[in-house]
Amino acid sequence: MTSPSDPAAPPEGANGGIQPGLYYGRGIPYLPIEGYPGKLIAIEGTDGVGRTTQIQLLREWLEVKGYGVVETGWTRSPLMQPTIELAKSSNTLNKLTFVLLYATDFADRLEKEIIPALKAGFVVLSDRYIFTALARAGARGIDRAWLRSLYGFAIAPHLVFYLNVDVKTLIRRVLEARGMDFWESGMDLKTGDDIYESFRSYQNRLLKEYASMADEFHFRVVDARRPIDRIQDELRRQVEAFLEPVPEKAPETAPALTR
Amino acid sequence: MTFSLLHATDFADRLLYKIIPPLKAGMIVLADRYAYTAFARDATRGVDRQWVRELYSFAVRPDLALYFRVPIDVSLDRLMARRVKLKFYEAGMDLGWSSNPVESFRLFQGRVLDEYDRLVDEFGLEVVNASGSITEQQRLVRSVISRHVQTTGAEMTDDEPL
Repeated sequence: MTSPSDPAAPPEGANGGIQPGLYYGRGIPYLPIEGYPGKLIAIEGTDGVGRTTQIQLLREWLEVKGYGVVETGWTRSPLMQPTIELAKSSNTLNKLTFVLLYATDFADRLEKEIIPALKAGFVVLSDRYIFTALARAGARGIDRAWLRSLYGFAIAPHLVFYLNVDVKTLIRRVLEARGMDFWESGMDLKTGDDIYESFRSYQNRLLKEYASMADEFHFRVVDARRPIDRIQDELRRQVEAFLEPVPEKAPETAPALTR
Repeated sequence: MTFSLLHATDFADRLLYKIIPPLKAGMIVLADRYAYTAFARDATRGVDRQWVRELYSFAVRPDLALYFRVPIDVSLDRLMARRVKLKFYEAGMDLGWSSNPVESFRLFQGRVLDEYDRLVDEFGLEVVNASGSITEQQRLVRSVISRHVQTTGAEMTDDEPL
């Protein structure tokens, strides 16, 4: 409900002029974050794409290299996790409250985990980021401009890796690992009773949503159908190039990069 | 931020279950506080004003919004007469402006009132002087509301035949 006297302000944030390490949009006025030494790296991708495995490996490697690492993950905030679980188990949740609960969880982790860690110079590895929320809400038909304004308080990560996979591969992985779950299958969208069909069409929509954000949010797209160590190699190469860039005028005597 | 978003979540839930259905049925909905409360309180807590307004853009604009304006001392007197302790968040104790609840309330709610004053013009709130007696206020409220609602017999009955 914006002010009537205020002509429809252009949607803030997200589009264009993204500066890594700063707020996307209007931000949090009482928490200035300019100049914080930490780095925020987001690993995105749908369910069962191997994010958590890759983050574990990345963390070990970074710590061996001497970086302080903090992990944060979707719906893991102590304030909101019980509430979100409770709300998911009841039948009263609707699209809007779903989105807002996720946003509250994210705000809590941003204020209590991410921003303090960036201030202290940690590398923050985020297992999923706001793109998960944007994709899920987008697949449920929530207004895109409103979503981007809502998440205008989020910090643009220094790196966003998007683990990309096709639905066919995804289905096999999820079935091998643990089976399909109600929410991951988008059963709340009530496209049908068949969980397999629902999963397939919902995950397809999510993949489309992610793909549509790739340019807007500068995703580094990683082919996640490859073996775990190949993916990890690529992530490490890119993270290293970002954290420890080789000076432009490096003489040829520069030591070869070792792992 | 979490304070603001939790309230928005609660509001969204009430909007979709308690406000929109009766409106669709042609009923009158009386809301005790509305999005304006969030605009005033969240801004006082340092949340971006425009962000909160955009956050609540899913809210239905009320046909009539009444703002009961009262000086800070009157509201404090009324609260203290009823109960011994001010609520933590009501007194803005989370902001750490004062360790004395009454002092904190005065500072915090004073700023909240300033925010409400901005809203009066921005959203065209009808101001009711809430320092007066209940009867005086109620008379005023009734006259304002009767200007907006025509309770003619025709509107009170369903036009669809049984």
